[in-house]
Amino acid sequence: MKKTLIIVFAIAVSAALCGISLAVTPDEVMKKSQAAFLYPGKDFKARVMMKLISKGGQERVREMTMLRKNYGESGGDQKYFIYFFQPADVKDMTFMVYKYPGRDADRWLFVPAISMVRRIAAKDKHSSFVGSDFTYEDVSGRSLAEDTHGIIKEEKTGGKDSYVVKSTPKAGDMDYSYKMSWIDKSTFLPLKEEYYDKRGELYKVFTAIEVKDIKGFPTITKRSMKNLQSGHLTEVSYSRADYGIGIDDSLFSERFLKQPPKKWTE
Amino acid sequence: MRKFSLVEFSVEHPRLIVALSVLITMLFMTQFPKVRTDTNPKNMLPATSDVRVWNDEVEKTFGLYEDMIALGIVNEKGILNKDTLASIQRITDEVLKIKGVAARDVSSFTTIDNVTAENQTLTVAPLMTKVPEDTLGIEHLRKMLYENPLFINRIISKDGKTTAIYVPLEKGANGKEIADRIKEIVKKEKGDGKYYVAGDPVARDTFGAEMFKLMAIFAPIAGMVMLFVRYLMFRDLFLSITLMMDAMIAIVWSMGLLIGLGFPIHIMSSMAPVFLMAIATDSMHIFNEFYFRYRETKDKKKAIIETMNAVSRPVRNTALATAAGFAVLLFMNIIPVRVFGGLVAFGTIALRLLSFSFIPAMFTFVKDEKIEKIAHAEDIGTDRTSQFLGKLAGIGTHKPAMTVAAGIILVIIAIIGIAKTRVNNNMVEWFKKGSDVRISDTVINQALGGTSLGYIIAIAKEDDYIKTPEAMRYIEGLQRHLEKLPVVGKTTSVVDYVKRINRVLHDDDPKYDVVPETKEMIGQYIFLFSMSAKPSDLDNVVDYPFRRANIWVQLKTWDATAMQNVISAVEGYKRANQTPMEMKPAGTAYFNLVWNHEVLWDMVKGFILALIVVFAILAYDFRSVKWALVGYTPLLFTILIIYGVLGFIGKDFDMPISVLSCLSLGMAVDFAIHFVSRFRQRLTECRGEPLCSPSQAQAGQPQGAALTRDVVTDTLHWTAARPGKGIVRNAVLFAASFAVMMFAPLTPYITVGAFIVSMMLLSAFMTIIYLPALITLMQGWLLKGDKI
Repeated sequence: MKKTLIIVFAIAVSAALCGISLAVTPDEVMKKSQAAFLYPGKDFKARVMMKLISKGGQERVREMTMLRKNYGESGGDQKYFIYFFQPADVKDMTFMVYKYPGRDADRWLFVPAISMVRRIAAKDKHSSFVGSDFTYEDVSGRSLAEDTHGIIKEEKTGGKDSYVVKSTPKAGDMDYSYKMSWIDKSTFLPLKEEYYDKRGELYKVFTAIEVKDIKGFPTITKRSMKNLQSGHLTEVSYSRADYGIGIDDSLFSERFLKQPPKKWTE
Repeated sequence: MRKFSLVEFSVEHPRLIVALSVLITMLFMTQFPKVRTDTNPKNMLPATSDVRVWNDEVEKTFGLYEDMIALGIVNEKGILNKDTLASIQRITDEVLKIKGVAARDVSSFTTIDNVTAENQTLTVAPLMTKVPEDTLGIEHLRKMLYENPLFINRIISKDGKTTAIYVPLEKGANGKEIADRIKEIVKKEKGDGKYYVAGDPVARDTFGAEMFKLMAIFAPIAGMVMLFVRYLMFRDLFLSITLMMDAMIAIVWSMGLLIGLGFPIHIMSSMAPVFLMAIATDSMHIFNEFYFRYRETKDKKKAIIETMNAVSRPVRNTALATAAGFAVLLFMNIIPVRVFGGLVAFGTIALRLLSFSFIPAMFTFVKDEKIEKIAHAEDIGTDRTSQFLGKLAGIGTHKPAMTVAAGIILVIIAIIGIAKTRVNNNMVEWFKKGSDVRISDTVINQALGGTSLGYIIAIAKEDDYIKTPEAMRYIEGLQRHLEKLPVVGKTTSVVDYVKRINRVLHDDDPKYDVVPETKEMIGQYIFLFSMSAKPSDLDNVVDYPFRRANIWVQLKTWDATAMQNVISAVEGYKRANQTPMEMKPAGTAYFNLVWNHEVLWDMVKGFILALIVVFAILAYDFRSVKWALVGYTPLLFTILIIYGVLGFIGKDFDMPISVLSCLSLGMAVDFAIHFVSRFRQRLTECRGEPLCSPSQAQAGQPQGAALTRDVVTDTLHWTAARPGKGIVRNAVLFAASFAVMMFAPLTPYITVGAFIVSMMLLSAFMTIIYLPALITLMQGWLLKGDKI
């Protein structure tokens, strides 16, 4: 009887120990999350509807087609091409981004009213993406090596088992002091992110509102970013999302910026 | 059945009365720990008032902050050097960490967005991400600063010696606490930099903190001064303390009631204790008369009751007049004004209640010998004060026509002075010249665009109109027009951003520093701007549907008139230039203009109402309109002369002054009530009393004869000498306690102090000279109907 107890105990202990050693590291979780969130498929296209809602309930709308193509592994280079439908007075405006891991992206903007392409240099970390509550970094991600990650706990969020990862930037030039991410254990998509400012107060919350399976890739088709301090909210929804559509490299050029092919923009 | 007399009851049961008074006082005192203050001038107007609803709407539409602190940094050698720039960076980093600061919208070298163009590239970045290492870097920074008109006079002065960090505050943050925290941060900086913290929240919340100090320090000091002066007058500490307690009890009751009812203490109600203390001096007449009576009767209880019989009517009526003067404020629009009126009216009534109970009760505790000693000195024949007062009245009785003529000339001069009065209010000027708040404000206002902020909202009839070149050009023209005003330091609007983008897109060519030609261009430039800069930059100047634009107008002064000038200039521009847009003012500067105006006119209205009410009370009290008119004269005189002087010395007719005008009425009329009541009483008493009138006795005229000129003159002299002494004592006591306020660090308190001191002394003086003159001159008319 005593023996059996000891055996049971030993099994229990080793199982527990195994459990820990088998558990993924925080870096692995974040790497998988990056791949699932920002790099799924070879390329991607979606009609994006963005609503910018002020504290007082005023709305601004941004409607665009977004095209993305990956170059290399997950975490590597990417190119984005964006064509604007709304607001009405910027129709035909196009925007192109060459994203590199670990340094600021190159961006070009075509201004149809003066028929001119201009390069734009801005800080990914701080700049707002088209006036929304998302920064460029929130849209296209940041290099995993820039933060230290730690799994704080595991819990259910929205009925899904998830890892809660705390990411603290190594350099002090960020607007936030750390970020908490709730990563779905099955899809590795972030279900929620909380940003804490330099005073340690929660100020920005990302929420994945709707996740759909598109061509086998779980995709966040509705999301929001709320700034708790300014009261400003941005809601984003994807329609006609698609993967592996075979975007040519030539699309990402000044020529097509000026004359975007209907085939890709519509 | 005998009528119940509070005085007699009090004299019979003094211990009970005192115990009861103390008990009630303790009850009111239990409310004190619940005290709250509210120094935000916003709350002068209810949240539902038009201006507040509109300002809230504007704040919401444009994502604006109600409160902003400006930290000015000055270096005489120029701020563009490694050390000062490093300081700016360190300070900004620390400021961003302060709780209550809206960190995302702090404007400083390291946080403000700059859009520049180089080699076909638009660069959007904070003006200074790191401190330049060498002269080349510093020169580059200088170039960027001065070629961007959005920065000049905002974060860099034209001479390069001053910069500012603008710190917006979250709703409900305490401006003084944050300002103090900023001061601690800058204290750590060594080097040549000088630092100045300014802005509306600093002034307002510093004022609130000072207000509390003043209540805690000056009210007791005023009380002590009164105690001391009273002691000098009566040489009896016990009675002096009694009078003081009388005031203190009334103050505790009223403040306890105020706090208990849940009202916060505003700047106005904070002055109530001193006012009540002053009003309490009216009980001086009881003391004054008591000693005279005691000398005559030598029986303490009898003297008390007789005294009360003699003075009860004037004391009751002065209380009524004072209470009424304050109670009219209850009918005003502004809540703190109403609260204040109710508070003082309640306190005045409490005081009077005490005068008829607590004071007589306390008298019974005084030893007879002591009273004897003091009473000995109180003889109008030998007392020097009485003699002097008698002579003063003599001026009026002997040369009445001349006296009145001199008075009329004075009044005419005063009216000329009043015509020069300038209505204005300036919260920063509520601080003394040498104070931190004032110096900081002056420094920043001289070097940069200005710390006081107003908005002009351009409202179009349709969405997207603001994006049209015509709207843009109109706004631009209006800005240039407003900038011509000396009070306007800088204006900023969406047009400035559009012009900036236009120029930057065209390789920084100054030719393109203009409004673009088409609506498409403007729309796309704005979009481009919104893609790169902080969202708030654009939100602050234009609404979401592009129907409304917000023009920021930085003013170099907190004068309420400055915003008035801006509004007139806008109207002038609109008349000369047609536009479908409507222009509406908003912002703190506009709010200050509105509430000042409202308080002011509320007070003027109250003043007129008080004039009528006080006149009615006088007429009722004297049972004669004629006597009321006479009694009214010294009061009107005093007020006219004081406001005349204010007009001549160029003191603005501001909020504190307007408040005072109301109060002065209820208080200054007291002397006339005492004088006239006692004069007429004496006249009645004198019928058949030859001793009353020495000249009549000497002339050997038959007793009981009709009133002669001599009787009137003698009675006037007597009134001036005996109750007149009470009047002067009252005035001196009043003046002494208020003189203390002249040493306060805040100008409204100084104003109140100086105003009350001069008013009391002047009205006492006017009463004693002009009432005798008027009564002498008009005795036929006045005494005709009197049944004496």
